Amino acid sequence: MMESGGKGSLERLFWGAGSIVVVAYALIPVAWIISLSLKRTADLSDQRFLPSVVSFENYGVVFHDPQFPPALWNSMSIAGLSTLIAVLLAMFVAYAVVRLEFPGRRLIMAAALAIAMFPPVSIIGPLFNLWRSVGLYDTWAGLILPYITFALPLAIWVLAAFFRQIPWDLEKAARVDGATPLQAFARVIVPLAAPGVFTASILVFIFAWNDFLFAITLTSSNDARTVPAAIAFFTGSSRFEQPTGAIAAASVVVTVPIILLVLMFQRRIVAGLTAGAVKG
Amino acid sequence: MAKIELRGVTKRFHGSEAVKEASFTIHDGEFFILVGPSGCGKSTLLNMIVGLEEITEGEIRLDGVRINDVDPKDRNMAMVFQSYALYPHLSVRENMAFPLKLAKLPRAEIDRRVAQAAEILELAEFLARKPAVLSGGQRQRVAMGRAIVREPKVFLLDEPLSNLDAKLRGQMRTEIARLQRRLGTTTIYVTHDQTEAMTLGDRIAVLRRGEVQQIGTPQELYMQPRNLFVAGFIGSPAMNFLPARMIDNRLELPIGSLEISEPMCRRLEATPGPLAAGFRPDHLQIVLSDSRQEGGLHIRGKAEVVEWLGADLFIHSDITLGEFQEIALPEELGLAPEKQHRRTLVARVDPATRVREGDTVSLCLDPRHVLVFDAVSGENMSLELTH
Repeated sequence: MMESGGKGSLERLFWGAGSIVVVAYALIPVAWIISLSLKRTADLSDQRFLPSVVSFENYGVVFHDPQFPPALWNSMSIAGLSTLIAVLLAMFVAYAVVRLEFPGRRLIMAAALAIAMFPPVSIIGPLFNLWRSVGLYDTWAGLILPYITFALPLAIWVLAAFFRQIPWDLEKAARVDGATPLQAFARVIVPLAAPGVFTASILVFIFAWNDFLFAITLTSSNDARTVPAAIAFFTGSSRFEQPTGAIAAASVVVTVPIILLVLMFQRRIVAGLTAGAVKG
Repeated sequence: MAKIELRGVTKRFHGSEAVKEASFTIHDGEFFILVGPSGCGKSTLLNMIVGLEEITEGEIRLDGVRINDVDPKDRNMAMVFQSYALYPHLSVRENMAFPLKLAKLPRAEIDRRVAQAAEILELAEFLARKPAVLSGGQRQRVAMGRAIVREPKVFLLDEPLSNLDAKLRGQMRTEIARLQRRLGTTTIYVTHDQTEAMTLGDRIAVLRRGEVQQIGTPQELYMQPRNLFVAGFIGSPAMNFLPARMIDNRLELPIGSLEISEPMCRRLEATPGPLAAGFRPDHLQIVLSDSRQEGGLHIRGKAEVVEWLGADLFIHSDITLGEFQEIALPEELGLAPEKQHRRTLVARVDPATRVREGDTVSLCLDPRHVLVFDAVSGENMSLELTH
């Protein structure tokens, strides 16, 4: 008993300490940014970790900035639409690759991977010229298209891996139990595929939401500029002032939706819903 | 009422035939077994009956009505899958209610039927749980429950016990047999296990490489196997097979020769190829040194392996084939000899016999129980004599 108790507490200590290190490593910069965003302009360089006076002045500046609110709207719409389209397409592709026998299945997966490995920076110049001549420059579609292109491989691979785990006997069982093909899909397959779809959606959304390269290159105005690009154009309230506080506040504002999204769906993502469908 | 007729049912996958011209009738209320080694087409046949596989040729009739093109949902058949195929996102109650909800039954009726099935299968206390937390046996019961709540015309069971451990398998086997008798529903049961087939089936169809080898009651298959494959597949331990030949109206085996009747002689002489003789371990009896049975064929050999199982005692004894040619047995049977030109004979003897490994034993073969097969076609040549 003593020995196993000792081993248990040592193990707990190890995991506890390990978790603290990892969490601190990941979250200290976030905490720093939050702290910066809550400081008054005068206190920005006071070299304290916690603000001496909590102030929402920077948030006021951000939301009264002529660029930020439209950029937030652009970001949400562009990331949302890209996610919707990419995941929908990826679902069809992954379903077909997993469920149907047709020549070129492997080729599709390999091609998808090849696209994912392609460095975006190498096409950004040609894309800039191309978009300008076809009129996609500084439009939502001009950003959504590359986002879908680069997000699709990821979504296809995630969804295909997920669909492979679904016990497809369930579909047959539902058919024998009296379901039409559509009912079998909607009532049995969709609930089982949902965690995979959520996972893929969140990954794609985060990719589109965080992108800076395409956003800064392919936009020029509030029509399509997203938050990461807009932050780069922040100026202080006077030209002698660093916009550090405003940048911190804007960063917090764009981080919050992602955190909420992950927190909301983490149970669905993690839940091993398919466990127990079959033996073992 | 449900009678299923198969007429020349054939299934082709990419040119190869998974099921060849299966034609038989399953009667109303019958417990019918499809048995065979893996890859014999038994599951494909079941899937065609339930409608999950297209029928390439031939037709299937349910109560006289052709159902080839009827959607599986409209066939009113319930199936239990080898994997159980329980819906993991639904509770036990919802799993069992699923087909009833699809059939749009009134709520009260659904509740009544689910409660009744849960009662029969002793699942009442698990109704609120998800399949993931159930044991293998409980999951199996839920799968059965989902099938019986529908009160279908036919039950189809695809190797329902193969994921359970040996003890539970025996238990569930008895339970399934009792349930089928109680409900009286026509049942088709697929298995690769001949013990399950023999204990459960009213009638059994033995399949090999997509072809039906023989259909009959367990007794018929055991006593009068139509060919060498059925003879070797049914029965445990398997039948002993030896090469044989006709010499001077006697059947010669590596262990001695047997007198055979006149008509049998003529039949065997008409057989062009080599012959194979088969006899079950039950028909090899041990003889004590001082007694000698009349008419029996006596074999002296060393007891290489002795297996005492309480109610049975199996003695494995090696014999040499001498100048006899080796015969090829169907490879699915797994009876290929371990040693060149030798055979191990298995005898099932009185468990009270005191035999130790290494002892020299004297075994006696009752010639009335020796079956003779055409070693090439596998056909049972002695069939008519036993009728």
